[in-house]
Amino acid sequence: MPDRIRLGFVGVGPVVERYHLRAVRGVPEVQPAVVVDINEERARLFAQRQGIPLHTTRLHDLFGKVDLAIIALPNGLHAALSCELLSNGIHVLCEKPMARNVPECRAMIEAAQRGGVQLCIGHNRRFRNNFSLAKRLMEKGIFGEVTHIEAEEGSTADWQRSPAYFDPVQAGGGALIDVGIHSIDLIRWLAGEFRDVDYHGDGTSTTVESEAQLHFRMANGAQGKLLASRTRNLQQRIRITCSKGYLEVGLWGDNLRMRSNKGKAFQQFPYLDAYVSRRPPQDASFVLQLNNLVNAIRGEEKVLVDGVEGMAAVEVVTRAYGRSAPLHASPAEVSGGGQ
Amino acid sequence: MKKSPASTDVHGSTCKQSSAGLPTLAILRCENHGDLAGVLTRLRAVAPSLLPASLPRKVVIKPNLCDLVSWEAGVTTDPAWLPILAAELRAIRSDVQIVVIESDAVSAYKNSRSCDETYDRLGYREVARQHGIELVNLSKSESIEISLDGIPLPVLISELFLEEFYFISIANLKVHPYERMTAILKNSFGLLTDADVSPLHPYLSLMLSHLHRLCPPDLCIVDGRIGLEGQGPIIGDPVRMNSIIFSNDALAADVAACKLMMIPPEEVPHLRKVAADLGRNFPEIELPAGISPRSFAFDASGHDAIMVKFANRRLHRGSELFTNRWIDRFLRFKREPVKFATEAIPKLARRFHAR
Repeated sequence: MPDRIRLGFVGVGPVVERYHLRAVRGVPEVQPAVVVDINEERARLFAQRQGIPLHTTRLHDLFGKVDLAIIALPNGLHAALSCELLSNGIHVLCEKPMARNVPECRAMIEAAQRGGVQLCIGHNRRFRNNFSLAKRLMEKGIFGEVTHIEAEEGSTADWQRSPAYFDPVQAGGGALIDVGIHSIDLIRWLAGEFRDVDYHGDGTSTTVESEAQLHFRMANGAQGKLLASRTRNLQQRIRITCSKGYLEVGLWGDNLRMRSNKGKAFQQFPYLDAYVSRRPPQDASFVLQLNNLVNAIRGEEKVLVDGVEGMAAVEVVTRAYGRSAPLHASPAEVSGGGQ
Repeated sequence: MKKSPASTDVHGSTCKQSSAGLPTLAILRCENHGDLAGVLTRLRAVAPSLLPASLPRKVVIKPNLCDLVSWEAGVTTDPAWLPILAAELRAIRSDVQIVVIESDAVSAYKNSRSCDETYDRLGYREVARQHGIELVNLSKSESIEISLDGIPLPVLISELFLEEFYFISIANLKVHPYERMTAILKNSFGLLTDADVSPLHPYLSLMLSHLHRLCPPDLCIVDGRIGLEGQGPIIGDPVRMNSIIFSNDALAADVAACKLMMIPPEEVPHLRKVAADLGRNFPEIELPAGISPRSFAFDASGHDAIMVKFANRRLHRGSELFTNRWIDRFLRFKREPVKFATEAIPKLARRFHAR
């Protein structure tokens, strides 16, 4: 196959195992070439199992050997490593959140510009069937103006994470930046910019929050509430109430419930459930996300969630946390394995 | 099914005011098949409430274009309706957007029918161009997959149905091999965007009931100038009936169509289902003077076999779903017995209790 894009995995934790690996298999234009992980044994085993020729613990070993890197590491490592790769001409797909704060995000965007490469942030849910359908219908004006938004995502079940995820300095935050940022990105995408935010969380100076509640007002005047939790099972959905109807979009499944008050179909049906969850049976959003990036690298389309979009979500989070200044953590302080 | 004499106002050649909230029906004679404008003029006189006083921005017209056969054969809708209706609608709202919709279809008798080819060859394209009417092939329009109660398959409908519009359904007066007759309610099967709707045929009555709720016509026109008897709905002989049924209610229009064809509505599965789902009785309809019913010849050969095959397909599909559900439960129990016991069993118990 001509012109395959050589890929490096940077961090091979559960996110890569569960999602990115499957996505890479679904995009034949991409060829895994190198595995990087701080844990050499993990890198070796992963490379061996997946038939990837090289594994290493040093980021610099990627230079000249890959065209694209997927960064799936604790939040505190996103900016430093992305900047290094981007400024050396390597395209980057960086897991969400883009970084811990806006200056770090800005540095990543500038590095991508310097390197003349693509930067994509892993807000994969924009590629889900239900969200892309919701976006299309909202753009058609079927539901009217957004007036109210409620989002909640939270679960007691979680995979094993490195201690970096619970350290305020290294993680940049807890439930809001880790879980809630998905909803923040989707709300921005569907309903426009956040104007005012009012945050409540149970974090302290030494631990990140496990419960986050964000009350907000959008630029168009719509109000809303976002709940993010690492300790409670919540409804995992975004409900968008509009002047002419509403949408309820599943954050975990592909479900989409809708009502358009004047719509013909709703004269007798109170709502319709879009039936998008069975075909395809698996979440294809990671495949579509990688496809989008590959097409962008080839100059065929734009990256849907680029650095500017990723930064906008982080900006909302940092505003909520009440700090716009960067967290002072040097790369030496940052440690941890793959996400 | 009982009949309720007071549930429908029937207008014939003489005018009768409709009571608020009741279905309104008019059956008009049309000897001169080229004078549809005259028919509408008479309709305006005898049943003005059937024509809208105001309109939303969009009006959608669904003809019956189930085959590449001209309207004189009694199979498809005459394109001459379009300019007549367009003039009527524009007199009510000058900037109205008129859209004609139909889907591609995989026919049981032919390989496939392209809706675009049908528009071209039956004259719809030319008429639409002349009168500023938009033709939409639903199979090529953006669609959404929805789930409907009792239908074990995803159903594709056009995103158009999420919008506001005034809906006119124009059907023919025809017999049907397994539904006995087809008119307005059956015409809505063409609202599905999938070309091959055969997997839904075993659930036809339920599907038509859902479609009627999804897209209820505001104005129903059963063009009975020429009907179709025989096997139907595309095979048979044309019959000059010289009648046109107008109604604001699909069930009333179809019961009137049954009356014209001398088919007891109780024999039509989808009419029974729609009436039951709406919680209504069949309206009692008396044909106006000058309009005579005719017993439409019906070739019922194969009817029973088809119905048995559909029942068999429903049984198979139902048993497959049932078995798969229990296999899933068993595997979940085997994998995580405690979690299953604490989550699934109470859920199941609640469901059984609710039943």
